[in-house]
Amino acid sequence: MTPRKLNVMEAISAGMAHELETDPNVVLMGEDVGQAGGIFRTSTGLQQRFGSSRVIDTPLDEKGIVAHAVGMALYGLKPIVEIQFSGFIHDAFEHIMFCATRYRWASGGQYSCPMVIRSPSYGGIKGGFWHSQSCEAFFVHHGGLKILVPSTPEDAYRMMIAAVRDPDPVLLVEPVPLYRAMSSEIVLDGEPAEIGRAEVVREGSDVTVLTYGPIRHQATAVADELAADGGASIEVIDLRTLIPFDIDSILRSVKKTGRVIVVHEAPLSLGFGAELAAVIQEKAFGYLHTPILRVTAPDVPYHFSIGDEYYRPNAHRIRLAVQRAMEFEF
Amino acid sequence: MAEENPLAGKSRAKPKTAGKGAGGKHCPLGNARALGIRQVIDAEGRLTGDLAEPDLDRDALTRLYEMMVLVRAIDDRGWILQRSGRVEFWIPHKGLEAVHTAATVAFEQKDWIFLGYRHPGTLLLRGAPLVQLFAQFFGRRDEPFKGRRLPTLMGDRRLNIVPMTTQVGSYIPHACGAAWAAKIKGDDTRFLTFFGDGSTSRGEFHSAMNFAGVYKPPIVFICENNGWAVTTPTSVQTASATFSQKGDAYAVRNMRVDGNDPLAVYAATKEARDLAPKEGPTLIEAVTYRLGFHTSSDNPDLYREPEEVEEWAQWDPLDRMRKHLELKGHWDDKLEEGLWARCKSDIDDAVKQAEAMPLPDPASMFDDTFEEMTWMIEEQKAHLLDDLESQP
Ligand SMILES: Cc1ncc(C[n+]2csc(CCOP(=O)(O)OP(=O)(O)O)c2C)c(N)n1
Repeated sequence: MTPRKLNVMEAISAGMAHELETDPNVVLMGEDVGQAGGIFRTSTGLQQRFGSSRVIDTPLDEKGIVAHAVGMALYGLKPIVEIQFSGFIHDAFEHIMFCATRYRWASGGQYSCPMVIRSPSYGGIKGGFWHSQSCEAFFVHHGGLKILVPSTPEDAYRMMIAAVRDPDPVLLVEPVPLYRAMSSEIVLDGEPAEIGRAEVVREGSDVTVLTYGPIRHQATAVADELAADGGASIEVIDLRTLIPFDIDSILRSVKKTGRVIVVHEAPLSLGFGAELAAVIQEKAFGYLHTPILRVTAPDVPYHFSIGDEYYRPNAHRIRLAVQRAMEFEF
Repeated sequence: MAEENPLAGKSRAKPKTAGKGAGGKHCPLGNARALGIRQVIDAEGRLTGDLAEPDLDRDALTRLYEMMVLVRAIDDRGWILQRSGRVEFWIPHKGLEAVHTAATVAFEQKDWIFLGYRHPGTLLLRGAPLVQLFAQFFGRRDEPFKGRRLPTLMGDRRLNIVPMTTQVGSYIPHACGAAWAAKIKGDDTRFLTFFGDGSTSRGEFHSAMNFAGVYKPPIVFICENNGWAVTTPTSVQTASATFSQKGDAYAVRNMRVDGNDPLAVYAATKEARDLAPKEGPTLIEAVTYRLGFHTSSDNPDLYREPEEVEEWAQWDPLDRMRKHLELKGHWDDKLEEGLWARCKSDIDDAVKQAEAMPLPDPASMFDDTFEEMTWMIEEQKAHLLDDLESQP
């Protein structure tokens, strides 16, 4: 099979197309996803190809979209639901967190709701506080939802497929600022990503940077620069899955470096970094040379006119954290 | 009587508005009467004899028209500023000038308005200077929201204008709740809110209608049915024949007006406002059309026919109002030219001033999260500012 060069948006589209093609129970639904192919064009041509009963334009009603998808999933369809921006997912929170995730448990395992909720996330598009949200942590608390966070075209393609085939509800946190920003060669063979497996993006021996989402690329760039300048040696791990996260890869790295920096775009308090810090100190306390540091956004809303520059964590702040970790003394 | 009136259309019995969208494939305004869309003037600015001509004198009429033109000129400029990269984002309002300006005029300054994002005229009519609007479009520090919100998502507490929440439709119950509060407190403040056809699909719209029907707060809900919610046509939002009829299910008084007829909007809104203290809420569906893109990120070629836009352009609210003023002898080409020239130079000045204003300071991101900052925010602020000190 010859590989094709796809950007993240096209890779997501190719993943959905593959599943729509191979599984007649898969449907895609959401605001503007059909005829026009979605506001980001991630479903361009899919309605034309699979028909309007499988690629469905819905009324403007996030709660309704997810709630109806729950019913579809109970009956045996596999809905892929697009929420236009993650900032608008909150209306559907009850149906995601306390319906879709609960049917299996609360029915004694008789029912389940396998479905994919696509949540275009992150800042960097001058979108202000509703169109730039990183709200994945809300969906960590209380359990029941798998959370996948692709940040390369390859992962976008394979995680979409993995999400559709998973027997439980999955939140796919899509990287809006990367949709058209990068492309790579992908063999469109329909192979799913492994859920729960992190990627060691770059090996290193001094500091472990745990990250996910678009900022993984800034973290990697910082690591490369430091290596080129003869600075600290950074190991960058892209978590790829938040629930369940890859504890083995994390601990292996932490035991090697003894220094951990968590980098995410979401706000600080009770962000995913808080969970990582807690688990690492529980399981590898004796290996740590420094406190676990976090580079995140602050606990305030994303600012429209200066948020991309000053609110969102960036390479500079990652570099400062590395410096702090390396200079730390008990 | 209306027959003798030079403003009266000859087309009252059966609308034949000289090819101006009459019986149009896309635009229902040529067939308004049959569709229950109430009008004061037709495409040529003549009285249709349907809704009574509102009691607005020459001054009031020309001021309304001048505002509609200014609002159009703002859209023209906003679009250019966005396309040239000086404004980050733009939400056009071309073709939608009549509804919000006329409805605002029908309300009093002390009344509260919960705004959408295509309504700059509301702020201007209540006294906001033009430069304040452009400062908001440029995200500048000294506009009322300190540069924190997307361009065109405006409001101003001094003017009793509450900004929209960004999630469409979420604020409809907020407006309704505020009106209910005024009723509970015994205040004679009345309320107005605007939202789109798409917003009626959200639960909040139905919740607001339901509460409004039960508690009868003094509020006018205006659903601007502009045909599209991004790429989604109204036929996908609802199978109901009209948006106004949704009021029936909740026992909310309702009507349907021509949203490109400022006089019809004014008449309907004024009446609803007058009735509000005794009768409570009214839902007005204003049938109009978004001539422009959904936003600067949109591409309408993907979902609508150019001929649909052309057909609606025949019902441009500015043209109709101008023709009406001309028929009344209140307007001519010279006044028209002067008005556009004035609008453009006022906008030039506002752009110049606003663009020269400073951007917000990073420290200001942390203000207003609470009335008194928590230690957590204080610490995060100190930490971030420390990091930024060395940021290139
Ligand atoms: C809850 C929510 N979902 C999605 C969006 C993204 N969005 C912004 S405007 C819009 C369409 C709104 O349509 P309508 O209410 O008809 O108003 P119009 O834009 O046509 O004036 C959508 C889907 C949003 N702002 N809020």
